[in-house]
Amino acid sequence: MSATLEAESLYKVFGRRPDQAVERLRNGADREELRAEGTTAAVIDASFTVEPGQIFVVMGLSGSGKSTLLRMLNGLLEPTAGHVRFDGQGLTALGDRELRQVRSRKISMVFQHFALFPHRSVRENAAYGLEVQGVPRAERARRADEALALCGLAGWEKSWPDELSGGMQQRVGLARALATDADLLLMDESFSALDPLIRRDMQDQLLELQQKLKKTIVFITHDLNEAMRLGDRIAVMRDGRIVQNGTAQDILLRPENDYVASFTQDVDRSRVLTAGELMDTSVTADDPGCHCETATPDTPFTELCAISARLSHPVSVVDEDNRQIGVVPRQRLVRFLGDVQDTDTQPCDSPRDKGGEKVIARA
Amino acid sequence: MPRIQLGTWVNDAVDWLTTHMAWLFDFCKTVFLGLYDGINAVLQAPEPLLLAGIFAVIAFWLRGTLAGVLAFAGFAFIDSLELWENAMITLALVLVATVIALVIALPVGIWAARSDRVSGLVRPVLDFMQTLPAMIYLIPAILFFGTGAPAGIVATLIFALAPGVRMTELGIRQVDKELVEAADAFGTTPRNTLLRVQLPLALPTVMAGVNQVIMLGLSMAAIAGMVGTGGLGGDVNEAIGQLNVGLGSEAGVAIVILAIYLDRMTSALGTQVSPLGRRAAAKLRAAQGLRIWSYRPRPAVAVIGVVVLALAAGGMGVLGGSGTGATAAAGGKDVGQGKKISIGYIPWDEGVASTFLWKEVLEQRGYQVEAKQFDAGPLYTSLAQGDVDFQTDAWLPTTHAQYWKKYGKQLDDLGAWYDKTSLELSVPSYMKGIDSLADLKGKASEFGGGITGIESSAGEMALLKSKVLKEYGLDKEYQVVDSSTPAMLAELKRAYAQKKPIVVTLWSPHWAYNDYDLRKLKDTKGAWGEGDGVHTLSRKGFADDDPTVAEWLKKFRMSEKELTSLEAEINKAGKGNQQEAVRAWLKQHPGFADRMAPVKNAGGGTPAEAKRPLDVAWFPWDEDIAVTYLWKNVLERRGYKLNLKQMDVGPVYTGLASGDLDLNFDAWLPYAQKNYWDKNKDRLKDLGTWYEPTSLEIAVPSYVKGVDSLEDLKGKAGTFKGKIIGIEPGTGEMDLAKNKVLPAYGLDKEYEVVDGSTPAMLAELKRAYAKKEPIAVTLWSPHWAYSDYELTKLKDPKKAFGEGNTIRTISNEKFPEQYPQLTKWIKNFRMSEDELGSLESEIKDRGQGHEEEAVAAWLEEHPDVVNRMTPQ
Repeated sequence: MSATLEAESLYKVFGRRPDQAVERLRNGADREELRAEGTTAAVIDASFTVEPGQIFVVMGLSGSGKSTLLRMLNGLLEPTAGHVRFDGQGLTALGDRELRQVRSRKISMVFQHFALFPHRSVRENAAYGLEVQGVPRAERARRADEALALCGLAGWEKSWPDELSGGMQQRVGLARALATDADLLLMDESFSALDPLIRRDMQDQLLELQQKLKKTIVFITHDLNEAMRLGDRIAVMRDGRIVQNGTAQDILLRPENDYVASFTQDVDRSRVLTAGELMDTSVTADDPGCHCETATPDTPFTELCAISARLSHPVSVVDEDNRQIGVVPRQRLVRFLGDVQDTDTQPCDSPRDKGGEKVIARA
Repeated sequence: MPRIQLGTWVNDAVDWLTTHMAWLFDFCKTVFLGLYDGINAVLQAPEPLLLAGIFAVIAFWLRGTLAGVLAFAGFAFIDSLELWENAMITLALVLVATVIALVIALPVGIWAARSDRVSGLVRPVLDFMQTLPAMIYLIPAILFFGTGAPAGIVATLIFALAPGVRMTELGIRQVDKELVEAADAFGTTPRNTLLRVQLPLALPTVMAGVNQVIMLGLSMAAIAGMVGTGGLGGDVNEAIGQLNVGLGSEAGVAIVILAIYLDRMTSALGTQVSPLGRRAAAKLRAAQGLRIWSYRPRPAVAVIGVVVLALAAGGMGVLGGSGTGATAAAGGKDVGQGKKISIGYIPWDEGVASTFLWKEVLEQRGYQVEAKQFDAGPLYTSLAQGDVDFQTDAWLPTTHAQYWKKYGKQLDDLGAWYDKTSLELSVPSYMKGIDSLADLKGKASEFGGGITGIESSAGEMALLKSKVLKEYGLDKEYQVVDSSTPAMLAELKRAYAQKKPIVVTLWSPHWAYNDYDLRKLKDTKGAWGEGDGVHTLSRKGFADDDPTVAEWLKKFRMSEKELTSLEAEINKAGKGNQQEAVRAWLKQHPGFADRMAPVKNAGGGTPAEAKRPLDVAWFPWDEDIAVTYLWKNVLERRGYKLNLKQMDVGPVYTGLASGDLDLNFDAWLPYAQKNYWDKNKDRLKDLGTWYEPTSLEIAVPSYVKGVDSLEDLKGKAGTFKGKIIGIEPGTGEMDLAKNKVLPAYGLDKEYEVVDGSTPAMLAELKRAYAKKEPIAVTLWSPHWAYSDYELTKLKDPKKAFGEGNTIRTISNEKFPEQYPQLTKWIKNFRMSEDELGSLESEIKDRGQGHEEEAVAAWLEEHPDVVNRMTPQ
């Protein structure tokens, strides 16, 4: 149904003599060095693979090159060096006409500020990609309405974009992207402009849709919580380079370097931590040894705390065969919480978006 | 600093453009004029109120009931001011300029929006176009496009183009980048991005640009009145010239009504065509609820309304038009009335030339002419059989003697039209010392021993070889080279271009004498024999069947110069274009056709020259209005048609010099308009004085006591605040006043002559007069100011202002040739002070717009004037 997306050592350099700059970067030149000469290296040596049906999140602060990276994936920007392959087809070598063909049929995009056409109704907006493909009017309307219904907008077809709330507008944006039946969905900070609560709704909706549709999705965000919630894999970008590429747990618990670590410090670990990550594996047994409540390695941190509160001894972690594979003493739980509280004085990573903090506070 | 000769360069560039790019300007002119005439015809055709109704329905549809009612009221008001026709001229002008401006502005704006480089290039050009004072390109516009609508359209276009380009560019650039990216991300082609995203979203801004184009166009159309575009601009100009505030404001209000209407309609159209605008308007209406004043019909209803009114208008136009349809179609020249005539000719240069000349002239006279080419023998046969009516190329008595002997009895000789044919040897005139055949002796080496001949079979060659050379003892020295006529001519051309010696066998008449400077070698011994005359022969009885044409043919004569120039013209045009060449030649020889085929004017009918309408330019000055309308009335009685164009002095002289205008009756010469005259005098003709004396002077109101002569001004600078109110700088009177008059009386230290304009001077005079303040103005006689105010003309004992001007008629250079009859009439035309004064007051009494009635009434009181002006 969906196909693999591969990016192979992508470079994007803005400014004069980009090829020469790429060569120097390959030879280990520094990004700052180039900037002094007026050349901006936006993306440096980015390689990754997105498996079919995966949500691949690219996370980084503004200016880290994540939007540039995204636009190279559908050819809106031409890579200075490197290759993009989707569904076995190299996109980098395609001419304008073929590239447009690919964009209209295989790749669609959802934008940060929705980018709905104000002179078109909701239905006409959702049908835009189909119109470009040359789908007949009646079928176009039918498929647009389906996509809108899928995004929870049934009944709003004849409205105009400016009559909708931000969340609803982005649902139109999503419907427009889904209507074309593209396999690859590129989402550029698509939920960043929304209120925190609505953002969570949208995230849930996206996950729910993904269950059904199994698209290959590349999702750009600067919000680590969002990345954790959505990402099957997460790539952290800094200064144009991908500094770590792994699962949410990898990023959180095994940061590649200090930057990633500092990045993840103010994350609500309790939501990603599970018993499997916390347990003391030195204590094992064939069975838990008592009939008290036990946990599995997937038991989330919050639940683990609840169990621990009801028990006088460490919580046993058991596998499918009810063998004890480790224990979680109460001190460990408290120590993790303590860590979190100690680092609360760190400055916020996205000062504009105060919502993130509130969510953590409530959790 | 070295003087940078920008002005000279511009002059050179303008000269170059007028000579080399004429085709382009002519093309533009044709397009502009075609569009303008089309739209103007549509606007002028229907009844004013019916058209006002159509405008009202459009307003009703676009903006609602109130707008519809107001639009009708506004246009009805224009009609009641008797400005309808001029308003429609202005409207047509603005519409054409707008359409052309948009055709240019939209693509340029789109291009500029897409490319920063283009944008950077276009911007200064637009600034230049918008800020350059209009007068600066109005005058060159006349040089390129002539006076009238095209020049006005171009000036308007230049001025109004900028906002169209700017707003288009701005509108497209303002479209949200993310939307363009979104379109791109879904694989939209650039063209569709433009059409489906950028233009629809830019539309409100673009329409604001269109609106600005129209508004600026309208304001410029008023200024363009100065170059004779007519319309409301002409009215405004005239009103200013006469200091007629009343008329000025009438025309001004009409312009304002047009402006408001166009502004409101285009902005409403802007909302209608833009999807966003439509929605906003619909929302607003929903909020307000249905009110009668803002009720708008559905488009279908509006279209039906417009169509019904238009059909009614069209129907009336057709019915009304049929009455005046057949006005003097052929001007009494249709002598032939479709009668068929056939001419036979031998393909010799003079035969072709004279035959096609007659073909053209006879066709002009309403005959159907067929020209058939023959060899000499068959031609005589056909003529004798009566298949051909006449031929013009009979070389008699010698060359065609055989044929004449054989068929002479069945033919009529209508006489020789060219009698100086000769055979000869010729050399280019740069060959010095060779004037006669005898001079050729001993010069064989110079010519390489050869005489370039023609076809060996030709009679001339035989004569040359067997008789002429022997007679002069040249047969040993020279060899006659047989070739062909074209080869001989090519050889001549080649040698002539390189200034090489050559002697050729030639005959007269021949176009070579026209194209090259050649010398016919004298035949002192008469070896070539007597020359033939070229006769016209007709079939027997042709003179009885068509005495008119026979009479014309009998009187037909051509000089060598005329014939050879016509041959050259035909030669240049090439085969198949003979008749076009004849037409071109006839244009260069005006009156020739009339001499060939004179039309009798039964009962004082129309002179032949009256066919083409005359373009007469006039200044909005009393004496010129009077004399121009007088001539219009009188000449229309004689079958002429006059187009009157009101203009400023500069444009009139330019227009006359360029041949675009024919006449102006109000040239104040030799002083007042000296500058204009001197500049263009080579291309103008002075047709003489019709009114004198006039004088230039400085005048003061008579309540200023003790100032009677220029000398009295001395020491009174305090009274007059050191100022003498002048008129337009650069006029002859101003130059005289500043450079001669003031120094002569020692006033130049004390007084300053203030540059301004005639209307401004008169306004200043009026103001000062009303307050009884002292004022000194430059003035001239005759002037109505002397009758409106009590003024003292300051005496000029030193004659510093010089002798008075006389009022003369001036024309373009070609006028006297083109209109010999009219030229004679104008030269003999005089008007007395009484006549002029009574005519002026008659016109003034009847008011603006009724000049023709005034002249008609005046002529009834002066019944002898018509015949005095145009005796028959």
